[in-house]
Amino acid sequence: MDNSGDELYPIAILIDELRSEDVQLRLNAIHRVSTIALALGPQRARDELIPFLQDSLDDEDEVLLALAEELGRGMDEYIGGKDWAHLLLGPLENLATVEETLVRDKATESITKISTLLSPAQVEEFFVPLLRRLSTADWFTSRTSGASLYPPAYPQSSDATKDELRKLFLGLASDDTPMVRRAAAKWLGPFVKTFSKQHVISDALPIYRKLSSDDQDSVRLLTVEDLIAIAEKLDPAEVKEQLLSSIRAEVGDKSWRVRYMVATHFVKLAEAVGVDIVREELVGAFVQLLKDNEAEVRTAAAGQIPGFAKLLPPEVILARILPCVRDLSLDASQHVRAALGTQISGLAPLLGREATTEHLLPLFLHMLKDEFPDVRLNIISKLELVNTVIGIDCLAQSLLPAIVELAEDKQWRVRQAIIEYIPLLATQLGVKFFDEQLGNLCMSWLGDNVYSIRESATINLRKLTEVFGVEWARGTIVPKVLQMGSHPNYLFRMTTIFAITTIAPTLTLEIIRDNVLATVIALVKDPIPNIRFNVAKSLEVLALTLANKGAEGHDVAQRRIVPAVETLRNDPDADVRYFAGRALERARAGEISETTIFGVLWVL
Amino acid sequence: MPSDLDKQIEQLKRCEPLSEGQVKELCLKAREILIEEGNVQYVDAPVTICGDIHGQFFDLLELFKMGGFCPDTNYLFMGDFVDRGFYSVETFLLLLAFKVRYPDRITLIRGNHESRQITQVYGFFDECQRKYGTPNVWRYCCEVFDYLALAAIVDGRVLCVHGGLSPNITSIDQIRVIDRKQEVPHDGPMCDLLWSDPDGDLIGWGLSPRGAGFLFGADIVKMFTHSNDIDLIARAHQLAMEGYKLMFDRKLVTVWSAPNYCYRCGNVASILELNDELQQEYKVFQHAPTDTRSIPVKRPAPEYFL
Repeated sequence: MDNSGDELYPIAILIDELRSEDVQLRLNAIHRVSTIALALGPQRARDELIPFLQDSLDDEDEVLLALAEELGRGMDEYIGGKDWAHLLLGPLENLATVEETLVRDKATESITKISTLLSPAQVEEFFVPLLRRLSTADWFTSRTSGASLYPPAYPQSSDATKDELRKLFLGLASDDTPMVRRAAAKWLGPFVKTFSKQHVISDALPIYRKLSSDDQDSVRLLTVEDLIAIAEKLDPAEVKEQLLSSIRAEVGDKSWRVRYMVATHFVKLAEAVGVDIVREELVGAFVQLLKDNEAEVRTAAAGQIPGFAKLLPPEVILARILPCVRDLSLDASQHVRAALGTQISGLAPLLGREATTEHLLPLFLHMLKDEFPDVRLNIISKLELVNTVIGIDCLAQSLLPAIVELAEDKQWRVRQAIIEYIPLLATQLGVKFFDEQLGNLCMSWLGDNVYSIRESATINLRKLTEVFGVEWARGTIVPKVLQMGSHPNYLFRMTTIFAITTIAPTLTLEIIRDNVLATVIALVKDPIPNIRFNVAKSLEVLALTLANKGAEGHDVAQRRIVPAVETLRNDPDADVRYFAGRALERARAGEISETTIFGVLWVL
Repeated sequence: MPSDLDKQIEQLKRCEPLSEGQVKELCLKAREILIEEGNVQYVDAPVTICGDIHGQFFDLLELFKMGGFCPDTNYLFMGDFVDRGFYSVETFLLLLAFKVRYPDRITLIRGNHESRQITQVYGFFDECQRKYGTPNVWRYCCEVFDYLALAAIVDGRVLCVHGGLSPNITSIDQIRVIDRKQEVPHDGPMCDLLWSDPDGDLIGWGLSPRGAGFLFGADIVKMFTHSNDIDLIARAHQLAMEGYKLMFDRKLVTVWSAPNYCYRCGNVASILELNDELQQEYKVFQHAPTDTRSIPVKRPAPEYFL
């Protein structure tokens, strides 16, 4: 290249940075390594840069990690394309042997990416030898890295090489170091997916059996996913013949961590083995896990209940699963009960209306009274599912007493969860039923001790107004809200203002003029400044709402609201003056669209 | 009023720290406001009184969810905003931003942790250094600490102070003449106000095991409240497992507002609402649910079981 003299300069800087004392500079340089390669051109990148990177291995882990990542990020483009991609394997192989796991993992990830670019010849010539070296290296870090590279290497290899790779992998599975055996157990599953069926039985099964009977439970627990991968490769008859004893062994493993893994993956396992084995074998196994001695195992199994039950006919659910569910609802561990709480409603669609009413409802009722708030919350937040199965009437009749009780729960977050559920209940119960059963409750939340509940209560009122209409609000909500405007505590009078501000946009001109305004304007004279500046904010929203209600609305705003705000603008308190000034400005800004009103609402 | 400040408040409420430049500006404005306040700041009822927060930002949000947000609810914080918790920067800056935006709605008085020496040992300095890479933010905040009032008095009837009384102070007026714009001294009246503790078994004054301030007994409180014609001394400074602790014939109360102190004490916290007639209502609250990030994850969770 003629102009290489010009380009050499920045390259020299970058290479200099790669050698810099400052880690940050080296890190930056590594992240720009593709730019360096581009500047050098393919030939020099291959001849100079790659060997340089291969030698500069003695660096901080942070830098090595960045290098491992960059090399897998399309570097082949800068060194001359796919045909040269194997050159990247050199530095990555070195990175795959270092002490730090993060670096090794990133290196093998990049090798896997690069392997997809290689031709079969490149695989045989470069990738397989790399795999051989890693798998038989002296130090365990190389061998663990090796285990992860079998899945990408295998499909692209010749038959003879495949035979060799299976044997090498068996070697890793029999390694003296548990770290290597763990890596083998972790990667056996993905590896098996690339096997022909014949080799699954002849080779994968022995490897799996070896690992699943390992002394160390940290190895065994990783074989659960291998078991699933193998089962997915076999037909049900073969599963039955080859894997039944293994499944039993995993479910009954003496280490709870293995049983925990089985429980966590139970639905996947069930889906892999086929219907017959599910019915004959896995139902029993699942029941065993649900009754496990360890709470962690029961928690994990509880999480799989609806997923597994989907694979069963209703009568089996009723006969075998439900008794366990009943036991779990009384479990000594709160975590088990909480896990069950989120899952139990998933059974309702599977059982259908009658069975849900008969069997699940009593459990809901019981769990709604659980002493641990998470259990109660989980049940409430999933009630909708049940609702669609048994209908709101039935749910309301049986659960309403419990809901009313929870509406007064000591934990304010439980109360809040109930409030959020109220508009849904309201839609489905209808006005009459609602007024009778829940009306008072909704009003009592306005006087709650906790600010967040009072706030939720006002938002709830707006949603209810949307459901039942403005006339209902005039008769039911508005009088009670206004009544609180004379509460002796300023924080409760504040709730009146908040509630009016929140529901104002849904109210009609008549209601604002005849019912609401007098109360709000009376509070202009409140002794507490906090009330007065919230009155100003509220008047602002009311004025904007009225501005959208034609000439009459405009008139009411001018005649009654503006003078009140003017009074507040001369208030002795600075904050009151500020918010009154803002209200006046915005109210005078006149024709304001509906969207800004809602905008204002959110700001408030 | 600048809308920038409103934006900063929203940002801080999400626990996102401000830039160094913004902190500098905020601290300068705060000093302008605080310099106008007396050593014993007058506060009007109704007001909600809070004790130690100690950088437990998400628990401070729980406090506001219980008591209402500033400016709708009036607040008085009795010091120890920083140290020990994971979010001292965000905690102090949020309170300070409220103070600058709504000076009449929130009062901040000084605690013994609002000091250069203490914050270098108990976490605030390190946190600033970690989050900003320089000690500048810590320096700006420490300069603000020197301007914080030493006490507050609600409607002339309730004296609020971080620690307690001092043998050198028999009348509230003696607090007013202290030159407060300095680092907390190792002894003397200013130190005692921030460091002393009440002792239920003691008559008169005793030595404090803390190495600063004194212990004071029922007779001292009785005399002080009588001669200064006040109803109550509200203070913080000591963990109260039930959130608050009334002592000495209800003449003194400890209010503690850091639930599950240091993320492990298992205590509840409280705030004291004084209504316009100075009636007391204590509201107890618990620490934030663990799924909101009350404790930062130190590093990526290790691979399961390995």
